[in-house]
Amino acid sequence: MNEVLLEVNKLRKTFGDSLAVDDVSFKLRSAEILGVVGESGSGKTTLARCIMRAIEVDSGTVRYRSDEGWHELLQMTERELFPLRRQIQMVFQDPFASLNPRMTVQQILEEPLIIHRLGDKASRRQAVAEVLASVHLDSAVLSRFPHAFSGGQRQRISIARALILQPRLLVCDESVSALDVSVQAQIINLLEDLQQSLGLTYLFVAHDLSLVRHICDRVLVMYKGRVVEEGAVDEVFENPQHDYTKLLLSAIPSADPDQRLAPMDRRLLDI
Amino acid sequence: MSDRQFHDAMNPDNILQVRDLAVEFHTETGRTAALQGVSFDVPRGQVTAIIGESGSGKSVTASAIMRLIQPPGRVTAGSVDFAPSGSAPYDVLALTDNDARIEQLRGDHISMVFQEPMTALAPVYSVGNQVAEAILCHREVSKQAAWDEAADMLQRVGIDELQRRMKQYPFEFSGGMRQRVVIAMALVCQPDLLICDEPTTALDVTIQAEILTLIRQLKDELNNSVLFITHDIGVVAQLADHVVVMHHGRVLEAGTVRQVLKQPLHPYTKGLMAAIPGLAPKGQRLATVASVVGATDITTAHPLTRLADGRQISLSPSQLRALGHE
Repeated sequence: MNEVLLEVNKLRKTFGDSLAVDDVSFKLRSAEILGVVGESGSGKTTLARCIMRAIEVDSGTVRYRSDEGWHELLQMTERELFPLRRQIQMVFQDPFASLNPRMTVQQILEEPLIIHRLGDKASRRQAVAEVLASVHLDSAVLSRFPHAFSGGQRQRISIARALILQPRLLVCDESVSALDVSVQAQIINLLEDLQQSLGLTYLFVAHDLSLVRHICDRVLVMYKGRVVEEGAVDEVFENPQHDYTKLLLSAIPSADPDQRLAPMDRRLLDI
Repeated sequence: MSDRQFHDAMNPDNILQVRDLAVEFHTETGRTAALQGVSFDVPRGQVTAIIGESGSGKSVTASAIMRLIQPPGRVTAGSVDFAPSGSAPYDVLALTDNDARIEQLRGDHISMVFQEPMTALAPVYSVGNQVAEAILCHREVSKQAAWDEAADMLQRVGIDELQRRMKQYPFEFSGGMRQRVVIAMALVCQPDLLICDEPTTALDVTIQAEILTLIRQLKDELNNSVLFITHDIGVVAQLADHVVVMHHGRVLEAGTVRQVLKQPLHPYTKGLMAAIPGLAPKGQRLATVASVVGATDITTAHPLTRLADGRQISLSPSQLRALGHE
């Protein structure tokens, strides 16, 4: 088994009176794809944002292992954290909202390199061309603005922007849920290819359970801010232990009309 | 033998018949055909689903049925024959703009449920008020009678504690409860046809299952017909009796749910099915529509051909021969 890359321990985050993330602990191993599923309000996006230190947590620890050793991400100052931010990148849900409409693709992809003061102008151009090829986009797109692209193409640009810093961990927050099923399949295939060729690790936040089953190795099921079940995807899907997991699985509409939907009644469950 | 479909007389088993519908939009770059030669039936008392990806024309089709195509859009051809209960069938598209039947059509005979319940509800009116208003718009009854009828319908869609809840505002309801309110509003005038445009897309999967069950159950209770627009094949499989597959403004395949989903014939339908992660074996690459369709041309318009088993398909004569259908 690969080494642990990220270790989250007793993470807790409240917004006013409401407990968004409650005592969440898990380990993420290198080159693993870990899914986080749950309904809206279950805390899955908040968890991702806490790990990214996009928001400050109330308590708990997040440990990350770089080549230099372990880092306590939540204890570090912004200045200490800055070089590590290269290694953990994020791909968002809405490819329309996450790209600046006034920047060209060239500027969008080059910006992370400029922020991290990497390379000179020529080497940055080279890096942009390479990352663009890795997401199967033509270099002719570089001078164009985001509005000229379809949703799937924009999501490729978002992925390229995350990859250009050569991260080790990619946090994907509902990265394919805004896409049509055929475009979604292309992006999923791309994410899987990149994972294999670059040895990336993914934290894959999603509400689509079939998708998680397809792409993930392990899964965390969140409900009301807590992790109610954790395990290898096949085990969790075949033999769910927690009532909430059972409810979720029973609500997936099968594409086979002969497998009738028989959702469990939430009111009858003690969750 | 297959018979090509022409303008046929209204079949009494159908509540709605769309024939050769064409809609275009005038844009800066010229005319864009949003719909071309769209034909399908909505059988009475059943659920018909239109499935398609973004830009396939499924929502434009619904708008055309409701006479809601606005400039720069224009209906350029076709007919939408509608047979409401207790009145003679008529072509919705042939009505003049000041025909009283248009008001009757919208909300009374046909009503719609949209994707986003928060934008379909007015934020500053109480929930009870909005459902009662739908009745007051279409019938001459007292406010009290409308309120009582609204209460009855809200109870049917599963809203509890009516006395308190009806006086509350949409922001005090969860997404699933809001969609129940919108469904109550749509059904309170007892329409013959309910059109649902992606009504569960914004909802969690558990809530979606509840809403699908509700739509099905109310259809059986109220004996209406449903036209359900979605991009989700799972939803189609679970809810619909018939399915119409749309792509680039055209109907590519139509038939019963079992015919189309269990034995898709059109390469595009096959591609859509193959791209669903739940059906692909784990660890295997997902098929994409492009990889399944391959070199087959799916953009050229071919007339819909009715096969011996009743399903309709848009393929060239040589493609049909390859499938074993003359």
